[in-house]
Amino acid sequence: MSSVPAPARRLESAVSICLLAILILVAAGVLLKQADVDMSRFGMDPVAAGVVEAKPAPLTAQGEISLTALLPQGFKKLSESEFYDPENLYEKINGKAPLYTESGFQSLLTERFASTQDESLWMELFIYDMANLRNAFSVYSRQRRADVEILPDTQFAYRTGNGLYFVHGKYYIELVGSSESPELSVPMSQTAEQIRTELAIDKDEHIVELTFFPQEGLVAGGNRLYLASAFGFKDLTNIFTAGYKLRDWTITAFIGRRLDANDARKMAESYHRFLIENGGAAKPTTDESFKDWQGRVVDFYGTTEIVFAVGPFVAGIHEADDRQAAEQLAAVLAGKLAESAKAIRQ
Amino acid sequence: MTEANGKKIGRRDLLARIGQAGATIAGCGLASYLLYDPTGPEARSETKDLATLPDFSVPRKAGQTISIVRGQDRIKTVDKAIELLGGIERFVKPGDVVAIKPNVAFASPPILGATANPQLVAEVVRLCYSGGKAKKVIVTDNPINDPTSCFTLSGVGKAASEAGADVVLPKPHLFQRTTLADGKLIRNWPIFFGPFEKADKLIGIAPVKHHHRAGASMSMKNWYGLLGGRRNIFHQDINTIIAELSMMVKPTLVILDGTEVMMTNGPTGGSVSDLRRANTLIASTDCVAADSYGCTLLGLAASDLAYLAQAEKAGAGTTDYESLKPAMATIS
Repeated sequence: MSSVPAPARRLESAVSICLLAILILVAAGVLLKQADVDMSRFGMDPVAAGVVEAKPAPLTAQGEISLTALLPQGFKKLSESEFYDPENLYEKINGKAPLYTESGFQSLLTERFASTQDESLWMELFIYDMANLRNAFSVYSRQRRADVEILPDTQFAYRTGNGLYFVHGKYYIELVGSSESPELSVPMSQTAEQIRTELAIDKDEHIVELTFFPQEGLVAGGNRLYLASAFGFKDLTNIFTAGYKLRDWTITAFIGRRLDANDARKMAESYHRFLIENGGAAKPTTDESFKDWQGRVVDFYGTTEIVFAVGPFVAGIHEADDRQAAEQLAAVLAGKLAESAKAIRQ
Repeated sequence: MTEANGKKIGRRDLLARIGQAGATIAGCGLASYLLYDPTGPEARSETKDLATLPDFSVPRKAGQTISIVRGQDRIKTVDKAIELLGGIERFVKPGDVVAIKPNVAFASPPILGATANPQLVAEVVRLCYSGGKAKKVIVTDNPINDPTSCFTLSGVGKAASEAGADVVLPKPHLFQRTTLADGKLIRNWPIFFGPFEKADKLIGIAPVKHHHRAGASMSMKNWYGLLGGRRNIFHQDINTIIAELSMMVKPTLVILDGTEVMMTNGPTGGSVSDLRRANTLIASTDCVAADSYGCTLLGLAASDLAYLAQAEKAGAGTTDYESLKPAMATIS
């Protein structure tokens, strides 16, 4: 049948068999190896899984900041600087890592400084690179402690008994002291000031949504940003909240900017549906002016939820104890957003 | 059609070759289909040389399973809590080697409450020696951060050493693989086994903390420090791993410190503002019961923490701590 000479055919067959045997061995090796994977060694690798981007170089390597320059007067390095990326952040902050990695975390640089006079007085500096201002504000705002001293000279900054916390552009920064000693608070302020001077940021970045909240009754420094799953509803993303003290009531208002008016309307509808499906009861609005905004009022296990859409904004009130106060604030918020929506259109 | 050498290929030969090529392609496709594993590889399955943690528990005594003592001074409250359970002599016998596993997960100062309180650890060491006549007390943990920094900066290393304990830091040779019978996650996984291998008793000491992922970190979560390897993978199923740890570790006693409770930003905290004084200390031979009471200090109910129900279902203890008739006391 074939015109190839017999010796050549035998050689071809032998070569083919050898190649096939090698392929079979390779396949067997792959099968054996994958059945023997050791999760304790390889575990989860978010970079390989494509969940996060490959790690950037540390800030120091990028030449963006010199940690030595941050040493406050009378302090020395207590330990070597440490660098973490999304893959190993858990090695530093364990169960708190998801708060950061789910908010755009890029890297963390830490360093400890101790007093040259008393080594028991030390502080640890954490510089979280969160990729942009909004992400940095999100992790800052969600961890913000109650009853703190707001620092007036920086937009997002506060101090507690033993620490100083602030946002600097795309960076969220913590200075955590080993004690509440006043001997630490001054050096902390020096280091914070040095960071603000030394660490370059994009000064054109702003969070415009925060200006849309009405000022009357607003609790200073009480804003939060939920990048995902606000109020337990997974589709409610990029939601800013603000705390209000109105008469004796504490009320939370929220705003989220959507793609356009249609998208905002759909989001308001789906959030309303989520509330009803989870046990909420729709209530008629009692505030006449609020009717203009087609706001939906829901009694949610004794608290009042309000949701509406104005232009590209979905907004409302969350977990208010008093319905009347909630509707009044919602009406003011809707009016403010209408002005903002008009300004955006222009 | 002609071959490269110019010779003609007949129709039959061509059809035969097409058939062979088709059969090869179909065979490869079939083999790929049969070999395709949509679930991915599982952990190693060999079972040789696996370590098993000893059972350190002591026989139960009615009314002496859990004690809850209120007071500001940890040394007084822990003394009283152990006394209410029958005294340290019930747990530590003369000549015993006692392993104490405090939560020293982080290189953070004691005032943050992210780690076990150093004075509390020292007092338990002292009790083991003085009341229990222990031969040796080991204080050990496999921290999240650098171990030396953790034991130094938390103050636990110095306090434990001064009280006479041997502080053991994790080293590679101290890890061995284990598999938890009926476990889903702890399968052929390295655990920090060395310090416990020859111990007679095991005491856990943990602070009550909020935990961003698990809801709360208390005595059961404290055993997370026994895991080696890339244990962060377990954060994907945090409730199951905590429940499995409570099945794997059968301690002699756990001490849950709710003197100052980390209410927010756990498990690391970072500010004294995260803490609330609850002035409560719990001692128990039942981790599940201890944590079921401990979570109330965080404003949670046992039903809010899925791992408690899972551990109870697995037989690790009871969430109905009241049924154990806790021994209560207040220290002024």
